[in-house]
Amino acid sequence: MKKVSKASMATVATAVSLALVAAGCGSSGSGANGSNNSTGNKSGTQTASSGKPVNGGTLTYGTFSDIVTLDPIYIADTASGDAAQFTFAYLYDFDPQGNIVVKPWDLAAAPPQISDDGKTYTIKLKPNAKWSDGKPLTADDIIFTLKTIINPKAGSPGISQYDKIKTMKKIDDHTIQITLKQVYAPFADALAILQPVPEHVLKDVEPSKLQKYAYGTDPSKTVTDGPWVWKTWKQKQYLEFDRNPNYWGPKPHIDKIIYKIYADQNTETQALIKGDIDVDSAIPVEQLSAVQNSKNNRVINKPGPQYEFLAFNFKASNFPGDFDPFTDPKTRQAIYYALDRKAMVKDILKGTGTLMNSPFLPNTWYDVNDQATNFTYDPAKAKQLLKEAGWKKGSDGILEKDGHKFSFELQYNAGNTRREQVASIIQQELKAVGIDCQPKGIDFSAWVDQNLNPGKFQAVLLSWAINTPDPDQESIYSSKYFPPNGQNMGWYKNPETDKLWVDGYSTIDRTKSKQIYGQIAKDFSQDPPYVFLYQYGAPAGYTTRVHWKSQDAPQIGLSYGYLYHVQTWWLSNQ
Amino acid sequence: MTEYLLRRILQSIVVLFLVTVFMFALVHAAPGGPTHVLLGPGMSPEAMKIQEHNMGLDQPLPLQYLHWLKDMLTGNFGYTFKNHIPINTIIWPTVGNTLILMGAAWVLSLIIAIPWGIYNSTKTYGISDNVATVIAYLGFAIPSFWFGILLQEYFSLKLNWFPLSDMWTVGKQGDIGNLLWHMVLPVTVLALGFLAGYLKYSRASMLEVLHEDFVRTARAKGVPERWVIYRHALRNALIPVITVLGLDLPVLVGGALLTENVFNWPGMGREFVEMALAREYSVLMAITVITAVMVVLGNLLADILYAVVDPRVQLGKKGGASV
Repeated sequence: MKKVSKASMATVATAVSLALVAAGCGSSGSGANGSNNSTGNKSGTQTASSGKPVNGGTLTYGTFSDIVTLDPIYIADTASGDAAQFTFAYLYDFDPQGNIVVKPWDLAAAPPQISDDGKTYTIKLKPNAKWSDGKPLTADDIIFTLKTIINPKAGSPGISQYDKIKTMKKIDDHTIQITLKQVYAPFADALAILQPVPEHVLKDVEPSKLQKYAYGTDPSKTVTDGPWVWKTWKQKQYLEFDRNPNYWGPKPHIDKIIYKIYADQNTETQALIKGDIDVDSAIPVEQLSAVQNSKNNRVINKPGPQYEFLAFNFKASNFPGDFDPFTDPKTRQAIYYALDRKAMVKDILKGTGTLMNSPFLPNTWYDVNDQATNFTYDPAKAKQLLKEAGWKKGSDGILEKDGHKFSFELQYNAGNTRREQVASIIQQELKAVGIDCQPKGIDFSAWVDQNLNPGKFQAVLLSWAINTPDPDQESIYSSKYFPPNGQNMGWYKNPETDKLWVDGYSTIDRTKSKQIYGQIAKDFSQDPPYVFLYQYGAPAGYTTRVHWKSQDAPQIGLSYGYLYHVQTWWLSNQ
Repeated sequence: MTEYLLRRILQSIVVLFLVTVFMFALVHAAPGGPTHVLLGPGMSPEAMKIQEHNMGLDQPLPLQYLHWLKDMLTGNFGYTFKNHIPINTIIWPTVGNTLILMGAAWVLSLIIAIPWGIYNSTKTYGISDNVATVIAYLGFAIPSFWFGILLQEYFSLKLNWFPLSDMWTVGKQGDIGNLLWHMVLPVTVLALGFLAGYLKYSRASMLEVLHEDFVRTARAKGVPERWVIYRHALRNALIPVITVLGLDLPVLVGGALLTENVFNWPGMGREFVEMALAREYSVLMAITVITAVMVVLGNLLADILYAVVDPRVQLGKKGGASV
């Protein structure tokens, strides 16, 4: 399941959503060269704390955007998702490599049991799980939540993650059996990130009225099941969470959470340096050294679950004279070779971020990047490939073919400083091999409406964020998902990979699926849908008064991993 | 005077109505919409339709406008699209926050600028005048956000005298001392900006008047210099200054985006930009109406003040120097 996230918003739109960092607050790149668990970076970034956990204290969590809603059925942005980490329990957890595990604070008592035919999932709940109003949390709540999400009238952004459900059966109060219409491997991960809502609070609300209902916006109506409960919302200023008196899981050490809202990432990071906040999950790379130089902070510098790319458009009508310059795969490979992606990671992401040659995140259980061609920076080879593809230098130094110039517009969302810089480097490096690329920044909302959703552009600089550790990305790359029905906005068509994506999610055997995704990686090197650039993220900073055990250290590579196991953290010197 | 006021208010209502129609058409003409921002690219057309229906965005535009107008006339600005929160509960606190910040900076700068500008006009190119000139240059030339960051670096991060940002310490909402302490740095930044303009205006308009014939006549009659300045010159010099003040009035609720960002002040500048990017049409309309009312009020106040400082100005009378 992939999502697109903007500065403030990460969508969980369909199975996939994309990361668009808007409005001048570019959540620039980060990440040391992606060792998968976040132990030790130089300058003593973060290690487990010695000493015994102490109880009490207030953790101040910084963010640069206000929440939209705390109703998990409608959460589509990172700010709301962050706040929900404090108030809602999940069914399952992930280990750092993205495998499903069960922790004492998860609602499930054991990992999901999957039938031999791969279609039936049995979920066992912990019998003592309770809502914050004291009512028991049962199989009915799980079924109610899933039913609401898959009801189109409710308009939940998560619908496509669960729409393979055929039937749901309550075996007993703590056991649910779900049968799927087909084998669909990503379903287990989709279950893991399910945050149920209380049936007894919401059952009388009509699905089409649910989005407007006060659950999720009024703290007193928002009954939850996590370690802390929502007390107040001072809009644009802060949210307060107190310990949940009815919490059924292991008691958290931290008494109170203040979720402090800042105007932008720079203001937020200043507050971290000052010590006004304890956690800042989005330090702009320009301010990284200032944070590292301040004594009271440690920085975890790893890329998050998202990757950036240059996407081509394969629909000829988007180009003058219906001439699509990207048709020949050799031309696209040449663009790969013409770009110094290593230098982008070094100079723009300040050395943090991981190169990618396929759409599969490094250091996950499904990392198959070694199957793809590693396109190193080689302008001579780029020129050679362009020549083989039939391009000839024109009088002005720009390549030409059949009377058409190699010229295209590269769009990105205005205000995203990282993309602005990357676009201008792409422009320069492509010019060196004779390609004319014109970067253009566009207001986010207008861009989605007029270019991305209808698939009307020549090339875009964009990224996808992946909110569960599952490799399936069919809705981005398969020709089944051409606009307006999915996220294949560049009209990429490759019958072989179309089939491989289906094969990939139709097996729950990981050895087999790894082979399949390896083949996709190979095919995408031969016939690139995108130029994959890098996995990136924002460095996360923590004041030294925040402590955790080594197994509970933040895992930036996972969705919301900067708050990994926050219920076990503790604070010193209150 | 009463008749004049009535006429002006009626005119204002027409102007405000036209402004809302124009703004409504304009914000809806911008490509994109709340659903595009909320759900991002790649959402299915059906999902988009359901969302738009749930948000009431599928109705014809004139109907949406009428709904909005009806709500507005009952003092209710409607609800946000993204999470259905009453706009009244968002907008009025924000207006208040901005008024506190901008109002303080504005009053402070007036208290300093007008007397000082007048004094400088009587002693041009003296030490005081030169200092004022330098301050005015700085005020015009220094980007406010940069000045703000400088103040933060020194007075907050280094010396720890003042808080870095925010309006209150969490948990001290409503504590006036806490608020004042938080206001020192941002008010300094904003006051410098206002100060630059008002210093120059008050000095220049005084200088102009001081060269008029009637001032020379007064002096020739042997009227004491203080009398000449405060009685004869100042009243005339104040008219252009009042015009500028009237024009600045809407800024007091419009806010200052950059300063608000740097100091994390929950004000209107931030609100407007955020809401514009999110295509929250109703909030944008609410802000437009509030700002438009302030523009109208500013002009009206300026007109009334003309009559107060200059007895020759008679509002509403033919031949008077009004309107």
